[in-house]
Amino acid sequence: MNPTFGSILIKVLAGALQSSTILLFPTLGEVLTERSGVLNLGLEGLMLIGAFFGFLGAMKTGNPYVGLLIGMAAAAAAAAILAFICVTLRGNQTVTGLALTIFGTGLTGFYGDRWVSQRLATAIKPMAIPGLSRIPVLGPILFSQDLIVYAGYILVALFWFLLFKTKAGVHLRAVGDNAKAADAMGINVVGTRYFWTILGGALAGAGGAYITCGIHPYWLNGITSGRGWIAVALVVFAMWNPLNAFLGSFLFGSIEALQLQLQAGGTYINSALLSMLPYLTTFAVIIVATVIVRVRHVGTPKELGIPYAREER
Amino acid sequence: MLRFEKRDKTPIQLRLLVPAVSVLLGLLVGSVVMLFARVNPLKAYGAIVKGAFGSGYTFSETLVIAVPLILISAGLCLVYRMKFLNIGAKGQYIIGAICGSYLALFGPATLSRPLLLTLMMVLGMIGGALWAIIPALLKVYWNVNEVIATLLLNYIASYILWYFMYGTWGTRGFPLSKNFAVNAQLPRILPAPSRLHIGLFFALAAAVVIWVIIRKTRFGYEAMVIGENERAARYAGINVVKTVIIAAAISGGLDGLAGIAHTSAVLRLLQLEINSDYGYTAIIVAWLAGLDPLVAVGVSVLLAALEAGGYQIQIVMRVPFGIVGVIESAILFCLLAGEIVTHYHIRLTRRVAA
Repeated sequence: MNPTFGSILIKVLAGALQSSTILLFPTLGEVLTERSGVLNLGLEGLMLIGAFFGFLGAMKTGNPYVGLLIGMAAAAAAAAILAFICVTLRGNQTVTGLALTIFGTGLTGFYGDRWVSQRLATAIKPMAIPGLSRIPVLGPILFSQDLIVYAGYILVALFWFLLFKTKAGVHLRAVGDNAKAADAMGINVVGTRYFWTILGGALAGAGGAYITCGIHPYWLNGITSGRGWIAVALVVFAMWNPLNAFLGSFLFGSIEALQLQLQAGGTYINSALLSMLPYLTTFAVIIVATVIVRVRHVGTPKELGIPYAREER
Repeated sequence: MLRFEKRDKTPIQLRLLVPAVSVLLGLLVGSVVMLFARVNPLKAYGAIVKGAFGSGYTFSETLVIAVPLILISAGLCLVYRMKFLNIGAKGQYIIGAICGSYLALFGPATLSRPLLLTLMMVLGMIGGALWAIIPALLKVYWNVNEVIATLLLNYIASYILWYFMYGTWGTRGFPLSKNFAVNAQLPRILPAPSRLHIGLFFALAAAVVIWVIIRKTRFGYEAMVIGENERAARYAGINVVKTVIIAAAISGGLDGLAGIAHTSAVLRLLQLEINSDYGYTAIIVAWLAGLDPLVAVGVSVLLAALEAGGYQIQIVMRVPFGIVGVIESAILFCLLAGEIVTHYHIRLTRRVAA
């Protein structure tokens, strides 16, 4: 094989992993939120909130990791609004999620206006893992990344284990599949839904903050550019399984990395069509995934989007 | 402990009170957000009111924004009653604008003005309707989530517009088309500088027609039954597939009409920014209006005032336009939260000791 081709491929795949991590966090969070029966369509807004407040936090403290945590906290707080309206007050989850996206876009557009195009002095930097990063091919792709990418690996494994191998996972799935039965078993339905909605919000915030504190360390209005919606679609693609969420994110990260390489490499492809590619692919994927899910009856939490009303037994 | 008991009927006072309180709370949230940025909310709201209603001209500009909102929200009232959650008005608006503009830019120059304009509007409606039929087909045949599908189609439509504007439709490397010929400009109805156009009459007519469809026709009744319980609708012999597709086409057609009417009458050329975000604002309008297209006319004017005023405070007071989204979403949050009191009696009961 041509050595330059190989080195480019490694570079593309390493970049793909970074781009995919942006999607991985919100997708993972939404997998668990939806497993608890709550549909959070506000991911795009939550990512923007995470991205802006993460950026602001990093700017004020000078530490991008602290910034990321601040972004997560802000997004978690915003997700709590959705939890309150959808879980406690049984509001329409679709419209509430949409409202959350409008809120996140407006709020960050308002406060972010005077920070547009300002850059962070220090962003999150790669930290190669000694030893592992020396492995040929896999080392530079998987183990020469930054801490956030590594955290993504750990979360995928952790959430998969939690969801399918622990009692807490059984309870979580019970709440999303049959809240009435879960309640009768003594599981706290409302508490479970709150917990996973807010944690899912924090993870969506992490995805957004990873953009502004790591990959593109500056602020632009609407910097997430629809990734929150792609993450919502990826949850269906992942069939509500954390391992598939990783695969799906990586697929989309690769498309983005490829797109960047093609543009940087001067390959002439119309930039509008190139920018459309992720959305077009997502559109195709959501159709195929829906059909597969329907035929094989896997994953979909049975009471997704249905509020639990205890007294209406 | 709080207990919720389902209401059989919602008293009319509550149905008015909840939206009114929501608007007030929305403005309050906006104030708090502005205070954090050291903006005086009273001054900002004063400037918004002045920017929206201050003179005959500013009010006509408010109505310019209200026209697409009325058109889009009327269609949304219909499909949302059917629980087809079309979030794709933005994309349908863009595709409508592109289709109609095609005729304006490349159509035969010999067409008379009424004929050309009629064809442009019809083409815009067809474009918007087709863009809405795609997710409707996917929904009824394969159960693909229409919220995600319509949203992705919004992004795809934006890039299609981008493709044309940076391609053959742009002029001299700028993403602006050439100006529409006078024959391709939808007539304005007030003396300059007002840009209010005859689309206002299309919008009012659409609101009335959709109201009649919802309230007085078998089709509207069937759409509502589908929204209440799709399975029951099927058992009752309602053709769900046909009803959903026709309703989606009506909604998309109105969105497309909004797009081409605004482009042809107000902008008079095609460009990247054609105010397609009205597609999102209209969702709030429809919800705030309780999915009644006639109420939506009034709500459209109200939110159009907020948007028109929002542009003004951005220019005059340098308050970023994002504040409008904050206020709109806060109103929507309160409205959604408020549905608990319209649907349930809330009782405070003592927790029973175990």
